[in-house]
Amino acid sequence: MRQSQKVSLSICLALLVLAAACKAKTPNETNSAPGVRVTDVTLGRSIGGDKSISDRTENFKPNDTIYASVATDGASSATLRAKWLFEDGQVVDESTHAIAANNRERTEFHISKPNGWPAGKYKLEVFLNDQSVETKNFDVR
Amino acid sequence: MGIFDKLRGKKEPKPRADFSNVQAGSSSTAAEPPKTSPLPDIGFGPSAGTTGSATTGTSGQDQTYVVVSGDSLSKIAKRYYGDANKWPRIHEANRDQIKDPDLIHPGQRLKIPGA
Repeated sequence: MRQSQKVSLSICLALLVLAAACKAKTPNETNSAPGVRVTDVTLGRSIGGDKSISDRTENFKPNDTIYASVATDGASSATLRAKWLFEDGQVVDESTHAIAANNRERTEFHISKPNGWPAGKYKLEVFLNDQSVETKNFDVR
Repeated sequence: MGIFDKLRGKKEPKPRADFSNVQAGSSSTAAEPPKTSPLPDIGFGPSAGTTGSATTGTSGQDQTYVVVSGDSLSKIAKRYYGDANKWPRIHEANRDQIKDPDLIHPGQRLKIPGA
């Protein structure tokens, strides 16, 4: 009887360890999938040669060109999409850019309007492979 | 009086902003993903083995590129064809809007002929 209890206990312990291992692995699997992930999105008035923002701001003037720099990590092909929205949800512009990423990369999206942006609140939504991954709010004064 | 107050207080719906002339573009430090050819190059036909470049057998679709500050035709040619000397191809395709090949402006939408 004692022997069988020991065996049962061992099996239970083994199952618990196995379950814990599986549980611990699940989030890692999603993060370390061989895809690309967005690590940062910044807004500004200008970009450098490395596609990072050189004049960071979230308050723009009507005649500014608005740049968004999307940092990604991972080595795989992916599609980034930038959806620019005006305060009531009106779509200002939507652009996509396909990349064959090789570890850390930066992709910039920019919008300009020759006769000036209407003042108000705007939003940028960034999609990675059609999944919304980041939202940034900014305004034009 | 009450009616006038009501009328004065009644706000007209805000007109929707006009974003029809928004110019947009994008670029990346990452390479463009390889294009897949609808027809595999099986080694027959006039294109087989003529260039040996990575673009052999691609579908050759035209693309649109929005010029950003600091761009030149040779830079764009380098980006799309891997060869800055192929800038006349882009110039030819955009004769209607590029009079002087040394002068392109941010926001211009250029047709990039397929390789």
